[in-house]
Amino acid sequence: MSPARDPVEVDLLLALVRHRYGQRLTGEQLEALRRAVETIAEHAAALRAAPLTNADAPLAPFTPFRADE
Amino acid sequence: MNPVFQTVRELAEAVRTRRLSPVALVETVLARLETLGPRYNAVVTVTRERALAQARRAEGEIAAGHWRGPLHGIPYGAKDLLATAGGIPTTWGAAPLREQRFDFDATVVRRLEEAGAVLVAKLAMVELAGGMGYRQPNASFTGPGISPWGTDAWSGGSSSGSGSAVAAGLVPFAIGSETWGSILSPAANCGVTGLRPTYGRVSRHGAMALCWTLDKLGPLALTADDCGLVLNAIAGPDPHDSTAADRPFRYDEADVDGRRFRFGVVRDVAATAEPAVREAFARSLDVLAKIGTLDEVTLADLPYEAITRTILMAEAASAFEDMIESGAIAGLTAPEDHFTAYARDTILAKDYLRAQRLRALVVREADRVLSRLDALVAPGRPGVASPLDREFRSAARGNVADLMGAIGNAAGLPAIAVPNGFSEAGLPTSLQFMGRAWGENTILAAARAWQGITDFHRRHPPVEER
Repeated sequence: MSPARDPVEVDLLLALVRHRYGQRLTGEQLEALRRAVETIAEHAAALRAAPLTNADAPLAPFTPFRADE
Repeated sequence: MNPVFQTVRELAEAVRTRRLSPVALVETVLARLETLGPRYNAVVTVTRERALAQARRAEGEIAAGHWRGPLHGIPYGAKDLLATAGGIPTTWGAAPLREQRFDFDATVVRRLEEAGAVLVAKLAMVELAGGMGYRQPNASFTGPGISPWGTDAWSGGSSSGSGSAVAAGLVPFAIGSETWGSILSPAANCGVTGLRPTYGRVSRHGAMALCWTLDKLGPLALTADDCGLVLNAIAGPDPHDSTAADRPFRYDEADVDGRRFRFGVVRDVAATAEPAVREAFARSLDVLAKIGTLDEVTLADLPYEAITRTILMAEAASAFEDMIESGAIAGLTAPEDHFTAYARDTILAKDYLRAQRLRALVVREADRVLSRLDALVAPGRPGVASPLDREFRSAARGNVADLMGAIGNAAGLPAIAVPNGFSEAGLPTSLQFMGRAWGENTILAAARAWQGITDFHRRHPPVEER
């Protein structure tokens, strides 16, 4: 079972969305966005519940660059 | 010969031996695309002028004794997120971009041209490859993609036209893309074969970016063998795409008769699938037992779907930041695409990075399991094609489980979907073989063996009767 989302965190995150885009959104759209933010918060809670060590590096490609090589 | 519903392999032999003219073949295909394509909302642009020029060139070369290989003179369609030169629009399925043009060909398009294949159409797709959170099929300015297996059946997405055009016999093969499910879903809904290559196997230069660490390009065709022929032409490193791996690929066409495979099945992998899919999968396991062993597999407890979904949503939000922040997404077709992406501003950088750190565990866990197997098998999709006017269940959105898709795409693993049955309503179901990284030849062999003892891939929808 996924860890529960924090409702206060959802409210705070949704406030950010409302602050940035609220003037473009209808009430119905904001309600749909609440559900989308809840899903994102659930995913974040699931990610944070999985153990990692300091040695677990992200899988992201980074290569130092020189144009002459 | 009637070239419709012939495989690439069959057409190639007819072209090579000059029993079939590439020009006549392309004219047949162009006519079908123009007359039948609109029925399935499958086509954005028919590239008639370019196609006929390429076909005439192929015909002349073959007549002169210069046969380039099995794709020479064979027509194909490209998902409309692949750049094409010559004034041909590349719309990404999005109304605001319907006049977008590029002055170069994507590497995949260029490689297919070098192999002698003939570009006949830019094929319809879900707008921005579904990256804005669409929830129902009407999410492209060309209309909802329709599966040739039902007038009210969604073709799947986001490579909608790539699936339906192959299934309706409009093209022998097509190129699609997958970030999470966009090749396997239309292959399943349209009853064709779709190959998602290993991440980095095929250059993405000139392809619309949805998620830099998840996007793959691959073929859809009638058979696994055809997918192998196409992959052979498009795979390989590319100086224009740093993620295209410097690993050689040569399609292994060796006979699979008598070959035994080691298959694994993740415990309860079909438990949440629709009944028709579960039943077809159960029957498939009985058939697979004739060509290999089947072992139940358990996976380490990791939040696989949260990992892949977080990466997908964060990267897509960045890839289309300009369209999202400017409000240009309000010009998209699906009403939900007008605003859903705004929520992604709430994904924290450290959560995205945590997903990428956990992803490192996923790739190792997937390889631990697959190193002892030839393939994991599972349903290609958890359901059959949904009706055109209803919300569908989507793993990428999170309202249906898709463990295989989450692991396979997070770990960049190859998978091939093949038809394996039909629902009571006559809609196709699908079986997938997912292999170890860079193991395309193994899953292609398994899929060929499957298609050697089944005939689902030889059944075609009643296109002409409708």
